[in-house]
Amino acid sequence: MARWSRLVSWLDSRTGLRAGLSHLLDEPIPAGVNWWFTLGSILLGLLGVQVVTGLVLTLYYAPTPDHAYDSIRFLITSVTFGRLVRSLHFFGASFIVIAAVAHLLRVFAFGAYKASREMTWITGVLLLLIILAFALSGYLLPWDQRAYWATTVALNIARSTPLVGGWVASVLQGGNDLGALTLSRWYAAHVILLPLLLLLLIVAHLALMRRHGIAGMPTPREGAPAPFYPFHAVKDTIAISLVFALLFTVAMSGRAPLDLKADPTDANYIPRPEWYFLGLFQLLKYFPGKLEPIATVVAPGLMVLLLLLLPWLDRAADRSVKARRFVIASGGVVGLGALILTMLGWRDSPASADPARWPPSALAGRAFASDERCSRCHTPGGIGRDLMSARFTHDDQWVTTHVGDPEMIAAGIRKPPQGQFGTPQAQAIAAFVKRVQAGAPPPAASSEEIRASIVFATHCAKCHRVEGIGGDEGPDLTRAAQKRDREFILTYVRDPSLIDVNATMPAFEDKLSQEDLQVIVNYMANRK
Amino acid sequence: MLGVETDFTRRRWLSRAIAVMLGTIGTIMATVLGGAIVSPGLTKRRDNWVPAMPLDDLEDGLLKTVHVRTSRTDGYLEATDHQVVFLTRSGDQVTALSSVCTHLGCHVVWDAQQRVLKCPCHGGVFSATGQVEAGPPPKALESVRTRIQNGRVFVRI
Repeated sequence: MARWSRLVSWLDSRTGLRAGLSHLLDEPIPAGVNWWFTLGSILLGLLGVQVVTGLVLTLYYAPTPDHAYDSIRFLITSVTFGRLVRSLHFFGASFIVIAAVAHLLRVFAFGAYKASREMTWITGVLLLLIILAFALSGYLLPWDQRAYWATTVALNIARSTPLVGGWVASVLQGGNDLGALTLSRWYAAHVILLPLLLLLLIVAHLALMRRHGIAGMPTPREGAPAPFYPFHAVKDTIAISLVFALLFTVAMSGRAPLDLKADPTDANYIPRPEWYFLGLFQLLKYFPGKLEPIATVVAPGLMVLLLLLLPWLDRAADRSVKARRFVIASGGVVGLGALILTMLGWRDSPASADPARWPPSALAGRAFASDERCSRCHTPGGIGRDLMSARFTHDDQWVTTHVGDPEMIAAGIRKPPQGQFGTPQAQAIAAFVKRVQAGAPPPAASSEEIRASIVFATHCAKCHRVEGIGGDEGPDLTRAAQKRDREFILTYVRDPSLIDVNATMPAFEDKLSQEDLQVIVNYMANRK
Repeated sequence: MLGVETDFTRRRWLSRAIAVMLGTIGTIMATVLGGAIVSPGLTKRRDNWVPAMPLDDLEDGLLKTVHVRTSRTDGYLEATDHQVVFLTRSGDQVTALSSVCTHLGCHVVWDAQQRVLKCPCHGGVFSATGQVEAGPPPKALESVRTRIQNGRVFVRI
């Protein structure tokens, strides 16, 4: 112990450690400072969680379109606590946005932005913008469907800026298309540029806070100030612990979503932004065509400008709520507007397809892949990779080509399978592989459903689409039974010319066995 | 005096409460993040039987350098390695030696004239059976398990 205190004394004599620490901790806190004043510390604690979880994520993440998705899939399936670390980081982002807005509202309500604290307020507003930039750039990194399409929308919003839009978008995008260069750039921003700016601004924000002192309640309370440590620090710590416990519970019970891998050719995906951008997303709907920049640039720009100028718009020295009825009411109207827009956006946002759901093609693909032609090599420990291991990283085209001609890959190392699969089967196998890649466990399907899926994938998928997979020559049959009954479907599949003489679809009466015909018609008649 | 005493006790109590709360958060985060950091180091590499060559192509008593293609998991990737093993046949038995030098892990090569395996890095020399003949290697070359199935030699790597 004596040795320890001698070491501390030596360090203190060389560095001024004790004086520095007591300067940090002994700040006099005015009487009346209560739980409302813990929001800044909560925010700081949450940012700390993001920094350390982000650090671990970088150990596994690869910022290239080829590997980003697989590296995250690997993290959440094969790394101890990997899924939890990602969930903490994912939900932590939402917690931060909530805490930052709550902190801003508290400062606004208490009039703490007034002279002489204008610069503290401005650095705070800038910090909020940095936080939103973190959220936006982080959203792209998993390179899944959500990431890709939400970022496409974000870039198009930037493009809609008058005059400079095209240039801004191409700088953000790193070229003309959303791709490898965009991902590297957003990754660099997310892990180097933004953290640096964040650190600088936090230091400035805290230094300014210390320079001017805590503003305290709008109407000062009687009583002597107490040192920050431990009297206010204990409140901060309790608040941080409660929020941390909540975040941890959310991260343990909820899973950070990971959609299917980004597919730039998918025309059916409907993107939706993260909840804190939903208000802006909703606003866009009210300003179509040429008016669009009002929603994308003017309204948000004006909001930021108003926030930055607030200390000069509301200059009276009195901080009490009574004396600032107009300012509080205007703030309330803006806040309420944002809240309503967010709720409307939430209600209007399209239901995103569940990546864990297996469309019939994927079910059929699994049945095809269990065929001896595939399973001879693709077994655990076999020459080819186990198809159920989720470590299969090739894209659709590779899979369909390989299924069509297995000799093309690793020619000569084994006897090629007899009898080849056709294109519909190859596409079904690709759909199956994609579900496995997404970590979706195969559903419990009845034998009839599997048989119907096989019939669909073999005979129908060339022209018809169901749940996003199939051809486009015929109509989409995802909801085939919404307009047609079983009788109609049966007749049409048997011989379309009985209903429509000009029908281009061939008759399947002779191509399908009676059983297959019944199975596929029953299946379609249940799709509502 | 009593007031100062109470204030001192209160301060000490509050400081401890703060330390306990922050310590708990710190321990939880250290466990989760530490687990995620050390995790890949805890997984064991799995060996597989890999086809090397047809038995009939292997001459009796002659050491043969064989390149085998293996795949292994490399984090989120499936990596393909080309490894070199030395096969020697005597009758129906085939023995295999690893090409990794036991000194510092360079790859040894077969010198057919002198009938020894030489390490290009630090001059290690091994006999055709893998025993150390000269240089710094501390022990013989590792032997590799072999198996003959349907007329093909398989090695376990």
